[in-house]
Amino acid sequence: MIEVEGLSITSAAGPILRDVGLHVAPGERLGVVGESGSGKTLLAMSLMGMVPDGLSVTGSIRIDGAEMCGADESAWRRLRARRMAMIFQEPMSALNPLRRVGDTVAEPLIRHLGLAPRAARDKALALFDETGILDPERRLSQYPHQLSGGQRQRVLIALALACDPELLIADEPTTALDANVALRITRLLVRLAEERRMGLLFISHDLAAVSRTTERLMVMYGGDVVETGATAEVLRAPAHPYTAGLLSARPSLAAHGKRRLPTIPGSVPPPQELPRGCRFSGRCGQEIARCAAEMPQPVTTAPDSWAACHLLQARAKGAGA
Amino acid sequence: MSERRLSPNLVIGAALVTLVCGVALLSVIWTPHPHAVINVAQKFAPASAEHWLGTDQLGRDLVSQLMVAAGNSMMVAMLAVGVGCVLGTSLGLLAAARGGWTEEAIMRVSDLGFAFPALLFAIMLAAAYGPSLSVVVVAIAFINIPIFARVSRAAANQVWHREYVYAARAAGMGRFAISRDHILPNIAAPVIVQATIEFAVAILTEAALSYLGLGAQPPAPSWGRMLSEAQTLMYLAPQLAIWPGLCIFVAVLGFGLLGDGLRDMTDPRLVRERRA
Amino acid sequence: MSALLSVEAVTRQYRLPRLSLFRPAPMLTAVRDISFTLETGQTLGIVGESGSGKSTLARLVMGFETPDTGRVVFDGQDLAQLSPAAMRAARRGFQMVFQDPFGSLDQRRRIGWSIAEPLRAQGAGGDHARAVAQALEQVGLRADHADRFPHEFSGGQRQRIAIARAIITRPRLLVADEAVSALDVSVQAQILNLLMDLQDDLGLAILFISHDLAVVSSICDDVLVMREGQVVERGPVGDVLTRPAQDYTRTLLAAAALED
Repeated sequence: MIEVEGLSITSAAGPILRDVGLHVAPGERLGVVGESGSGKTLLAMSLMGMVPDGLSVTGSIRIDGAEMCGADESAWRRLRARRMAMIFQEPMSALNPLRRVGDTVAEPLIRHLGLAPRAARDKALALFDETGILDPERRLSQYPHQLSGGQRQRVLIALALACDPELLIADEPTTALDANVALRITRLLVRLAEERRMGLLFISHDLAAVSRTTERLMVMYGGDVVETGATAEVLRAPAHPYTAGLLSARPSLAAHGKRRLPTIPGSVPPPQELPRGCRFSGRCGQEIARCAAEMPQPVTTAPDSWAACHLLQARAKGAGA
Repeated sequence: MSERRLSPNLVIGAALVTLVCGVALLSVIWTPHPHAVINVAQKFAPASAEHWLGTDQLGRDLVSQLMVAAGNSMMVAMLAVGVGCVLGTSLGLLAAARGGWTEEAIMRVSDLGFAFPALLFAIMLAAAYGPSLSVVVVAIAFINIPIFARVSRAAANQVWHREYVYAARAAGMGRFAISRDHILPNIAAPVIVQATIEFAVAILTEAALSYLGLGAQPPAPSWGRMLSEAQTLMYLAPQLAIWPGLCIFVAVLGFGLLGDGLRDMTDPRLVRERRA
Repeated sequence: MSALLSVEAVTRQYRLPRLSLFRPAPMLTAVRDISFTLETGQTLGIVGESGSGKSTLARLVMGFETPDTGRVVFDGQDLAQLSPAAMRAARRGFQMVFQDPFGSLDQRRRIGWSIAEPLRAQGAGGDHARAVAQALEQVGLRADHADRFPHEFSGGQRQRIAIARAIITRPRLLVADEAVSALDVSVQAQILNLLMDLQDDLGLAILFISHDLAVVSSICDDVLVMREGQVVERGPVGDVLTRPAQDYTRTLLAAAALED
């Protein structure tokens, strides 16, 4: 239902997103993984039509077949909430502290769907029930500060589901939560996507959370998609040096005991200092001459999977010759 | 390379404040006429090349009086707000550093200070020591102490919970040294903003107290006293009330806008963009 | 020989706001009856979620707070019994690294100033600039970085600066409270390695506090799992990870694991 092709976002200082493509079908769960500065949050914002002023957006964003790139605010507003909805990292600041959470969830039902207050309340109750909020009847009349972090995130999910969106965009929804709460929230998101046949775009820096939530995975670095494929496959056998580096730098439970971890040298450079070619050049360790100058093209690694790396390209050519 | 545009509040405020302060400073070395010289033959003279805004009921030059009055106003506001700011901020810092009953005591006493009307305090002082500008300075300084104590304590309490302060404590720094090295520099912005706003309030209060005869005594001119003297002549010579009124308006507006502008500018996320 | 740090049956309660005028204010027990010891050169991990009391424990060990009952004994001295002057001197021996590399450095100060702060606090004589340069090099930065401001550094570099400040007094114990939680994965590994290198070079004992069991597993010798102010499980990292005795520990493990 959402198809993005060649999406680039550029600021005065240079490109922030380069040539991003993705598609999410009903019931499909796509993960976006990246560190700070990878552009993953900006990608989410652009899919909601909320790119900050002063940035230029080119490429194609088709939602249900309609081209939305360059569409005006009112066109986007017709889609938001009804076609796609978004949840955020910080469940406290996303709720108005002075409103009962039941009223917050009922409002879009009354405004967008034209339900009567009574019916909106019943629907809100059903949504609370569906999102696993304990004692939903009583919660309806409570304020955000009376709920725990996990319950608040569930309220926000209920709010996002209010108008039955076809796509749910979740930007770091578990980062601010405790481990066992995060575990339950990711399970909830998977269940909802399956039951409602709703698309899920799950954005996170947490590989563990992404691995248990999504079927397909997109790895971003410095505004580029460097690798994409089936989540389990990418994590088992990463093709791109960045993905591989990220996985090995991550402390693992499997090999315990004190040990030095393999590292990726340096840190993500500020946007204006990113190399022009492969964004990862300079930190990669396996570089060849053209890495810094030339942007690598995607190389198919498996059906519906690819990685953008000059090394793979060279290897593919070698194998073909 | 700072591309950030200054807010219009800040620019207009700074311009008005510079104007008022410039005139006040100038009055120390030069006025068109000696401000206190009476010349009854010239009373109520209209604006002319010799007397730019005319003369008052005793034939004194209006421009000269307004200029000297500006100096008096600035002096009173500066002394009063300065003393109030230093004492109040010290108390606020002490309260935040010590916590416990010290903090409780300082803040409850400053609540009492808040509840005490400045006017009443000024009248009591004037009754005891006779009306004068010093009475005005003491009264305004007194009401400023709790204001600065409260602002600085609230800001300081936040800074005390920053991690770099915990880091300084972990390093073994004492409370006094932390207050000096970390707390004070990091609460300076809100305190300076408050001082600018209180400066405007002080000018207004000085005018009000002098209007009531508790402040500047003849022949020392003051915008407030000029207003009160012009009151009885409202129909005869309205300009005698309009000009000092306008001066008060410009000075208060200038400091008010400057305070607002500074507050916008010292937003903590934008503080100090420096590159080596 | 007694342990470098010994925490003995420590309990810390906080008074909550009153709910009623006529009933005493409710109390929150942040830390209940916790004991452990830590030897030179060892790393003890404290794992728990927010509200488990692990940060309270860090503040107790650092002497920012005193326990209601029990004792925190560092190098044979009960911290609660020390005079302010003696406490200040004792602080030379234990330092702390915080979670937020943006918040733990004063934005208005050059980093050389911040790193030298423990030396000034101790009234230490000698060449501070040289000590700062040496500390910077120990954490993988350059001596000339001392003249720069915190905003000129990345998150990982700032955490290195914070570590430089913590080791400048040659402490024997380092308390790291979520010291790598705010960092990107690729930088996190660098900082963990740095901590282990410094431990080898300086013989540090490290109290490593984290919510992430995977991180703890890679840097700690022993681990202590906390929940609601109490220790629910403890032991060598290998044992706790392979044979968790508690459901709670199993949940934490599941949250940190990559799905197969």
